[in-house]
Amino acid sequence: MARGKDKKKRKLEKKQEGDDVPKKIPHTLESLREKDETMLANVDAEEQEEAQKDMELDELSSYYENTYEPKVLITYSDNPHNKTRIFGKELARMIPNSLSRYRQRSSVKRIVQSGIREGITDVIIINENQKQPNGFLLIHLPDGPTAHFRLSSCKITPELRKDHKEITTHRPEVVLNNFSTRLGLTVGRMLGALFHYEPQFRGRRAVTFHNQRDYIFFRHHRYEFTKDGKRAKLLELGPRFTLKLISLQQGTFDSKHGDYEWIIAGRRHQLETSRRKFFL
Amino acid sequence: MTLTEDREIDIFVGTKIGSFKHIKYHTDLTKNNKKFIENLVDIKSLQKDDGVTCMAWGNPGQTEILLAKKNQQIQAYDTLLGFTKSYTADFGSGHVVGLGRCKRRLVAALSSGVVKIWSKKQEDVLQVGKLDCMRLCAEETSLFATGGEENDLKVWRIGEPEPIFSAKNLPHDWLQLRRPVWVNSLTFLPGDGSLLAACSRHGCVRLYDTRAQRRPVINVEFTMAATCITPSFDDRQVLVGFGRGQMHQVDLRNSRPDKGYKGCTGAVTDITIVRDARLVVSTSLDRQIRVHKYETKELLYKQYLTSKLTCVLVQTETSTPLKKEAEVKEESELREEKHTEEAAEVEEDDMDKLFDDMETVGEKTRKKKLPIEPSQAKKHKPSTDGSTMAPEEEEDAIFNLLRSTEKQKKKREKKKKEKKAKSVFHNA
Repeated sequence: MARGKDKKKRKLEKKQEGDDVPKKIPHTLESLREKDETMLANVDAEEQEEAQKDMELDELSSYYENTYEPKVLITYSDNPHNKTRIFGKELARMIPNSLSRYRQRSSVKRIVQSGIREGITDVIIINENQKQPNGFLLIHLPDGPTAHFRLSSCKITPELRKDHKEITTHRPEVVLNNFSTRLGLTVGRMLGALFHYEPQFRGRRAVTFHNQRDYIFFRHHRYEFTKDGKRAKLLELGPRFTLKLISLQQGTFDSKHGDYEWIIAGRRHQLETSRRKFFL
Repeated sequence: MTLTEDREIDIFVGTKIGSFKHIKYHTDLTKNNKKFIENLVDIKSLQKDDGVTCMAWGNPGQTEILLAKKNQQIQAYDTLLGFTKSYTADFGSGHVVGLGRCKRRLVAALSSGVVKIWSKKQEDVLQVGKLDCMRLCAEETSLFATGGEENDLKVWRIGEPEPIFSAKNLPHDWLQLRRPVWVNSLTFLPGDGSLLAACSRHGCVRLYDTRAQRRPVINVEFTMAATCITPSFDDRQVLVGFGRGQMHQVDLRNSRPDKGYKGCTGAVTDITIVRDARLVVSTSLDRQIRVHKYETKELLYKQYLTSKLTCVLVQTETSTPLKKEAEVKEESELREEKHTEEAAEVEEDDMDKLFDDMETVGEKTRKKKLPIEPSQAKKHKPSTDGSTMAPEEEEDAIFNLLRSTEKQKKKREKKKKEKKAKSVFHNA
């Protein structure tokens, strides 16, 4: 049906039909998403069992068995500017049991080594370009994996007109949304493993990693239930940023000699065959 | 070869979590289906260190697969009988990096650099130095080659304590700097075992001729880490896989890459070729197996196999029926008695007769589909019983780090309390 011409007609028809007609699901890129064979939802039982086993045996499994408390080191590229510094500090405030340190011209491999020695479980390195934070490297210790994200639309609390002092030291609840493919699951598990596995519900803090069309949106809220307990009011605490996966590498950081599990560089045209194809 | 004529090719794949799969690939692409994939190991029984690190054919007839796991177990898998024997390679630390069989002798190499040769009467142990790869020569099985990080290629003959050939590094570069060595994978080229090709994590693909000189005859440089190498269809051509997901054919006559096979999104872990069907089979860390057509470089088939794949073998000498299929067929033959168990017994009897002289030690696994416990699906949930205790040192470290900011923190908390008293949330 041509769009413009019959619009009035259709509107009229709709009015006549009344309200009792069920609403159709709108056609969006997500609802028309190309079927991905690695999605856990659409495989048979045997494969699901194997995927489950695969996750039970991977490097992150010890966190999900609650055997250790995560300890996170946040560091920067050399000579970070003000915004990146504040962003890192806020991350450190938000992630329980984390510390922010300047890089001191140390190489990533040495940071990894000393991190393992000090009992650090995750390292975050924030890269900066033209005074804007633009890269987010997440390394799980002691033996990987390493995820490299592009960081964009980063808003620190002053830019959101918030106060970073609002962020309490309570351990937050973590919401991981929409990580559906096998790759997405690994990435989601890595992000989830940054936070303590046992939230303190008293603090009513929630951090959200929401994946939509391969962009991972981060938001940080304090919530409050309304008096009837049906809904929750949200107060955003900041910071706010968006991540996009560039590569996932097996083992700790070794961009030259490492084995990549997934890397998009050099094959964007092969992989991004359609607007409705997503990887996470 | 014509595509209309359907041929079946048996592919065996080992994975990082320890599962071991058999795929029946049809050259008639329309026939390929998920039905033709089966697991040969019970997935539920897998443990943390069960990952397959190395696979090799145990006999020239290609009916026996030697399978090394991360926990130093070596298992022999008969393509018809299932798992027959198992050995333990606990003569050193590290995982098994190379396996092979020379007549009656079994050769295994560990990453710590110990090579052991088992035979019925005696056991030989060789100290080689840190290893990443060990391969036996297919034509002359008494030869094997080793290589690793800062441990250049060496060729050994079984029974001799010294290597018969040890490679020499290339001369220093134009800055008079030493070229680093990291032999990651190597292969004997078809012939009498005097031609070898090795690839390194530093991106070099090198051809050695043991008759000519100790330095590589040809050196081809890439900018990315090479992970695996295998001889290609023509003389002096090799297929090389890379850590960033590329796969190239390298021509070692005029020392340049000449074909690229596209499609991998993760590191290529193993490549094999099917000579008569002109196919290139590769496994990758992105959990997919891919089949490319050799000449046209076209991707014919790819299949997601749920876990990270580490090695692949293709059976070209004989073929193996799928276990599911065998059971189904026999069921139809014995339609009166519809019990699968009895059918299985009959099958076993046949096999016993066939393989009378073969000793069958160890476990026989017959594939059966087991129902899945739904409770397993939600295993990972935060428990309610308290936090884990960190070791004391760690706590001290944390304490020291926090001490500096403690005063500030107190101030902040005071302010926070004041604020809290005012805030809406506190009252709620």
